[in-house]
Amino acid sequence: MGSEGREGRVFQHRGDGGGDGRAMNSGIGGTNSASDKVSGVTMCSESMFYGSNWDPMVSLGQSGDFGNSNIVPQSQFANNPLMLENQTMCGSLAQFPSDSGLVDLVPRIPGFESGSFSEMVTSFGHNSDSPNHEKGVSQDHCPNSDSGMLGVSPYGKRKREVQQRASPKSGEEEQRKNPSGDTSREDDDMKQKFEKGIARGKQAGKQAKDDQSGAEPSKDDYIHVRAKRGQATNSHSLAERVRREKISERMRLLQELVPGCNKITGKAMMLDEIINYVQSLQQQVEFLSMKLATVNPELNMDIDRILSKDILHLRGGNTTPLGVTPGLSPSFPFPPYPQGAFNSTPGTGPPFHSLPQHIWNAELQGLLQMGFDPDPSGSMGPNGSSKMEL
Amino acid sequence: MAMNFHQSAIKTRFAVRFVQAMKRLNKRRGVTTTDSYKRYRATRAAACASMASAVGPQRAWSRAVLSKTKRRRFQAISRKRRLINPRRNLGFGQEEDLRGLVPGGKGMEYCSLLSETAHYIRCLQAQIQVMTDILHHSSSLN
Repeated sequence: MGSEGREGRVFQHRGDGGGDGRAMNSGIGGTNSASDKVSGVTMCSESMFYGSNWDPMVSLGQSGDFGNSNIVPQSQFANNPLMLENQTMCGSLAQFPSDSGLVDLVPRIPGFESGSFSEMVTSFGHNSDSPNHEKGVSQDHCPNSDSGMLGVSPYGKRKREVQQRASPKSGEEEQRKNPSGDTSREDDDMKQKFEKGIARGKQAGKQAKDDQSGAEPSKDDYIHVRAKRGQATNSHSLAERVRREKISERMRLLQELVPGCNKITGKAMMLDEIINYVQSLQQQVEFLSMKLATVNPELNMDIDRILSKDILHLRGGNTTPLGVTPGLSPSFPFPPYPQGAFNSTPGTGPPFHSLPQHIWNAELQGLLQMGFDPDPSGSMGPNGSSKMEL
Repeated sequence: MAMNFHQSAIKTRFAVRFVQAMKRLNKRRGVTTTDSYKRYRATRAAACASMASAVGPQRAWSRAVLSKTKRRRFQAISRKRRLINPRRNLGFGQEEDLRGLVPGGKGMEYCSLLSETAHYIRCLQAQIQVMTDILHHSSSLN
């Protein structure tokens, strides 16, 4: 696709980008050569702009999400928060090649649904390799040392380029548009939108990564957040959004815990359900303790002896039932409980318990029913560790 | 399942502690052996304390329960600290209800309140299972 002089220059500077651009053009296929040129041009110009951001977009663009190749560059534009309007961007960026005839081939495609954008956004919204990330959610002010995006900046250093692409970009866009000068209306639109979007571009610059695949976001100390379309980008609202995401994640966890909450959406109702559930659990504990208090005197000795014997069996070396290490670890170092031996469990537990009871039940039953005999399967044989760790 | 293993570990630890506490309760001469209401109160306190002790000081709610039960000497100090509560929710409705339910919930941020609630719910479920099992098996034994 080096037919355009500008393209050729771009490919010289951005070997990777150019290569990918070519790959992408070939990957799209099925289009006429003119549209290929258009997409190639737009992708080249994009590669100038979006640095490594573009690459994951390329891979996404090749998926079945987009109908034709003409849509692809637009989607990439739209995904970059700098580009607020697909139509204007596509129309104006298509002017970059001196051949203005290609402009007609780029249709005005109405905006995509934001869902696909946010998908694309979040897919690499957590890229955090760049050392230029100052804070996870605060904006940084990009130094304007990089004057020219197109021919000047060394594309080997993609991080710097991406970070600074926001501020010089508007200038370049306008420069490039002026020679062609076809649609001044779109220029004005773009100017406005660039100014609006510069803040977002700065934000976007932080998530750029050298990762060509753009597949896996890497975790860092920070949580990197990308401002989605139509969202405010100052640090407070971003921090708020991170906090809200944390809260919604925990609400999802709670939703799994509380039975019957799968259909409920909405924080208020979920909270109500959670509160009710906790209250009912606490009431159950009180009820059970009341029952145990009345039953207790006859019961206690046996259980205690059984349990202490069980502990002795399991832990191998402990002589006192108090030899329980207070630490708690989620791992399960015990030898397997004799689950296979006992498969009948009484209907214990209140009806809304969703947790599987077989492990505890089997163990307790085994101990109670078999008396103090060790498990026939020998799973509770001498335990190597003298201390139980839980 | 990690949660399953976590649950059975918690259950074992709780069961041990609870049974020991009940044994101690039974051996106590005096009111607790005769007055059924006091027995109930003591049993319930033993259950909560055993659960918190089984969890350990890693969670905020268990720390709160443990400080309530074990260190009564320091009640004066804790009351003073409570006056300087940094996070006072003024009539948030549900949120403060939840804070009232989860032990130690009054001093937490909302985010940590939610995760503490999740852990607390799991431990409550484990506790109920153990106590139910003890009750049923004891009644079956008798």
